[in-house]
Amino acid sequence: MDRRSFIKLTAITGTSATLAGCGNPENQLIRFIPAEDIVPGVAVWKPGVCPLCRAGCGLTVRVMDADAEVVRDGQAGIVRIAAAKKLEGAPDHPVNRGGLCPRGQAAIQITYHPDRITQPLRRAGERGQGRYEAVSWDGALTEIVSRLDALEGAGNQRALAAVTQSGRGHRSALIGRFLGAYGAPGPIAYELFGDEVLRRANGLSFGRQQLPTFDLANARYVLSLGADFLGTWNSPVAQSVGYGRMRQGRPGLRGAFTQVESRMSQTGAGADEWVPVRPGTEGVLALGLANLIMAAQLHPASAAGRAGALIEGWNAGLANYAPREVERITGLAAARVERLARQLGDARPAVAMVGGPPLAHSNGLFTALAVNALNALIGAVEQPGGMFFTPQLDVATASKASGSVASPAPTIDRLAADGLSGGPATQVLLVDGANPVFTTPRAWRVREAFEKIPYIASFSSFLDETSILSDLILPDHSFLESWTEALPESGSMVAVASVAPPVMRPLHQTRATADVLLEIGRRLRRPLDLPWQTFDEMLAATFAGLPSATADVDAWTDAQAKGAWAGPLPAGLAVAGTAGASAAPGTFAFTAPLFDGNAEQYPFYFLPYPSNAFLDGSLAHLPWLQEMPDPLSSAMWSSWVEINPATAERLGIGTGDVVEVASAHGALRTAAVITPGIAPDMVAMPAGQGHRTFTRYASGRGENPVELLAPVTDAATAALAWAATRVRMSRVGPPDGRLILFAGGMREHPAGEHQR
Amino acid sequence: MCLAAFAGSVGCRLFEPASSTTDSAAPLLPGQSTGVFTTARPTLAGALNDFFGRRPIADQPLEFPHNVHVGKQIMCTEYCHESVTKGPVAGLPSVSTCMICHAAIATDRPRIQQLAALSEKGLDLQWARVYGYATEARVKFNHAPHIRAKVECATCHGDVGEQTVAQRNVDLNMGFCVNCHNANNASVDCLACHF
Repeated sequence: MDRRSFIKLTAITGTSATLAGCGNPENQLIRFIPAEDIVPGVAVWKPGVCPLCRAGCGLTVRVMDADAEVVRDGQAGIVRIAAAKKLEGAPDHPVNRGGLCPRGQAAIQITYHPDRITQPLRRAGERGQGRYEAVSWDGALTEIVSRLDALEGAGNQRALAAVTQSGRGHRSALIGRFLGAYGAPGPIAYELFGDEVLRRANGLSFGRQQLPTFDLANARYVLSLGADFLGTWNSPVAQSVGYGRMRQGRPGLRGAFTQVESRMSQTGAGADEWVPVRPGTEGVLALGLANLIMAAQLHPASAAGRAGALIEGWNAGLANYAPREVERITGLAAARVERLARQLGDARPAVAMVGGPPLAHSNGLFTALAVNALNALIGAVEQPGGMFFTPQLDVATASKASGSVASPAPTIDRLAADGLSGGPATQVLLVDGANPVFTTPRAWRVREAFEKIPYIASFSSFLDETSILSDLILPDHSFLESWTEALPESGSMVAVASVAPPVMRPLHQTRATADVLLEIGRRLRRPLDLPWQTFDEMLAATFAGLPSATADVDAWTDAQAKGAWAGPLPAGLAVAGTAGASAAPGTFAFTAPLFDGNAEQYPFYFLPYPSNAFLDGSLAHLPWLQEMPDPLSSAMWSSWVEINPATAERLGIGTGDVVEVASAHGALRTAAVITPGIAPDMVAMPAGQGHRTFTRYASGRGENPVELLAPVTDAATAALAWAATRVRMSRVGPPDGRLILFAGGMREHPAGEHQR
Repeated sequence: MCLAAFAGSVGCRLFEPASSTTDSAAPLLPGQSTGVFTTARPTLAGALNDFFGRRPIADQPLEFPHNVHVGKQIMCTEYCHESVTKGPVAGLPSVSTCMICHAAIATDRPRIQQLAALSEKGLDLQWARVYGYATEARVKFNHAPHIRAKVECATCHGDVGEQTVAQRNVDLNMGFCVNCHNANNASVDCLACHF
C-alpha cells in the first residue's frame, strides 16, 4: 500500500467510525436489581465437575462479579451477577489431582457461547432449516406431555426412544428410570470412539465390565498398543499425572515406554520407542510376546488364569504365535518382537494397555482379550504398577430407584434400520447430549431415519446436525448453572463420586434437563412413579448412603463442599463383578481383520482419530479449541489428512496440497500434511471438523472423516469398527489456504529437504 | 494516525455480526444476541475521553444527599459501601440496599418514592463511578487494607458529609498516594500498586 492510499483509507475509516459512534450513547441499557449479594472484585473458588468426557475430572471454578446482559419480562438490560470466569483442575480431586486438559480449560466457553440456545423453541420452518419460534416453558412442556400422553393412550409406549451421551452417572440413570417407568426401551448411548469392546473384554477376562485404571506412577515399563492415553483416551489427565511420576518422579529411575501404533499419536510422540504394525494385528503381537515370555519361563502360562484360558492354545504355549509367524502377520521384524518381549518380561512391574484404533476392527474383541491375557501373564492385574479396576457405585441401588427398569435399547443403527424399513417405528425421539447424525457412518442412514420420526425433542444447548431436526428444543442449563455429577469409571484406585451444586445462576431462560424430565413425568396423564422431585434430591439420596470422610459433617454436605466423595464403598452399593458368573464363552483366536474396499482399488488404510481439540466433534463449537494447534501437525481451524513422505512423493503431493480421499461410501477434499509418523500404506484424519451446522465457529469448516466410514462392526459387540475402511487418494490441486499451520511443517524431514 | 486509533477503538460497531456467520450456519434463533463481545468503547466520545485519560463528570441517576446520611451517623462502610472492608472495590449500593431503610423511613419524599417505584419494577440505579484510575495507569487499588490501616474515607474522598452528590475533589495522582504511603511507612514498591 502506498502512502497516498494509506492516508485516504485512514480518513475514510475515521469518518465512518465517527458516524458509527454517533448512534450509540453509552449506558443505553437499563440496570436490574441483582439477585444475589456479591462483593465486587473478590474471587471465590467453587467446585465443579467437567462435563466434556467420561473421565469426570473435578474442577475448581473462579467466580467473580460481572455485568451480564439479560432480558427480563421482555426488557433488555444489565444485571450484576456472580459469574464463572476460569476453570482449573481441583487440587484434591482423586482423578485429576489438580490437572486439567486443554479441552476442560475451554469448557468455560460453553456457558458464554454467543450461539447458545437461550429459551425453549418450537420449529417454525421445514426440518433442518433451523427456523424456530420462541415458546414459553409451560407451552413447551404441555406440547411434549401431550405427545407422550397420546402415545400412552394408544398403548404404544415402546415408540418412545431416547438418544443420549454414554455415561454411568445419575443423569443416565434418571433417563433410564424415566423411560422404564413410561414403558419405553432404555436410552441409546452411542459414542463414535466408544470403548465398548474393551469393557466387554475386561468383563470376559477379569469379570469387570469397565475401563481399567493404570498405576503408571509405579510402573517401570509400559507397552501401549494404540492407546492415546495422554491425549484423548480413557482418563487422560489422571494418566498424564501418573505418567509424569513414572518418567520423572522417582530419582534415578525413569520408567520406559513403548508405543505400538500405525499412526503416531500425541502419546506415541513421547515414547522411547515407536513401533508401527499392520492395523488390526496388535493382538498377534501381544500373543507373540506372551509366547516368548512363556518360552523363556519368565512367567508360567497358568499365571494368566481365566484371561489366558480365553485364548486358543494358551496352555500349549501359543505355538501359533512364534516370532516368525508374528513377523509374517504384523510386519514387525522377529528380532524386534524378541527384544520387546525381553523388555516386557524383565521389567517389573510392567503393564500393557490397549485402546483406540487396535480395537476398532472386526477382530477388536480378540485384540483386547489378547492384551488382557498378556497383562495377566506378567502379573500386572491388581498389582502396584499395573492395572486396576476402580470400584463402581451402583447408582440404582444407591439412589433408591426401585421400580421398573427400562428394557435394553436397540443400537442406533438398529433404530435407524427399523425406522426406514417399516419395522417398529419410533414416534417420539428425545435427544440429550448426542449428535448421532454427525458421528455415525452414512451407510447407517441415521439422518434419513430421524427425518421420518414424527416428533423429535432435543435438550441441546446448540443447534447441531441432530438438534436441527428437532421439533421442540428444551435447552439445558450449562454445566456451571446446574447440579453436575460424575461417577468416574477409571482414573482412581478408590471409588469416586463427583458432585457440585450450581456455580452460578442461569444466564438464560434454560432449565436443567434432569429437572425437566422429572416435571414431564409428573405432568403426564398417568404420572410416572419417580421417587424424586428434583435432580439434587436424587443425588442427596445417593450420598446419604455413603460414609462421610469428615467426622462432623455428612457425606452429602462434605461432597458438595469438596466437589467429590472418595473412599471404600459400603457393602451392597458396589457394582458386583461378574467373575465366574458367566458361562465360558469359548476360546478366541486371531482372525484377519476385515476391511471395507479392496486393496487394489482402495490402497490405503483409513484412520479417523479423535481430535485432541474436539474429540469426536462435540467440542468444535468452542473457538479456543478451534485455535489450539494440533500437538503434532500444528494445524488449527482446519481439517487435514496425514500422509507418509514416501507415499506423498509417489503421488506428487506436497504439504497443503488439496487431495481427494475416497472410500466406497463417500469422498472428501482436504489439505495434505506430510508426516513421517504414519505408515506408508495408511492415511489418517482427525475427527471433529466438517460440521454443517454447529454454531458460527464450526459450521462449514473442514471435513468430517466419518462420512467415509464403512459400516463394519466388531462381530462380538456390534461396536462400529471405525478403523476398518480402505480409501484411495489423489491430488486435485495446489495449496489453497485451507490448511492453517501454526508453526510451519513437520520438523523431521529427510536430509536435504530442510530448505524446501 | 489519531483517527486510525479512534477507528480501531470503535471498530466493533463497523463490524456487523451478520458477516461473521458463515453461509451454512443456521439463522439466529429467538433470544440470541447478535453482538460479538469486544472491549472497545461503544462511542467515539468514549474512545476520545479514554485516549486522553479524561473521565466524564459523573452523571448520577438520583441526587443522592450524602450530607443527610452522614449527618444521621450512617457509616459509609456499614451499609452502602459495605464491600470496602472485604475487597478491592467499595461498591455502589443497589436499590434493594436503599430499601432496607427506606421501606419505612421518609417514604413521603418524592426521591424516595422514585426509589420505591424502581424497586417495584425490579430496576436498579445506574450509578456512575466518581473515582477510579485510567486503565493505562495499571493501578490495582484495594480498599480493604486501607480500611484496616484506619485511613479515613475523607483522606481520599474529601469530606463527603458536606456534599450532596459526590464530587471528585481530591486528585488521586501518584504523588498523592506516595506521600501518604511514605508518611505511614507503607510500601512504595512499584508492585505494591501497579501490575
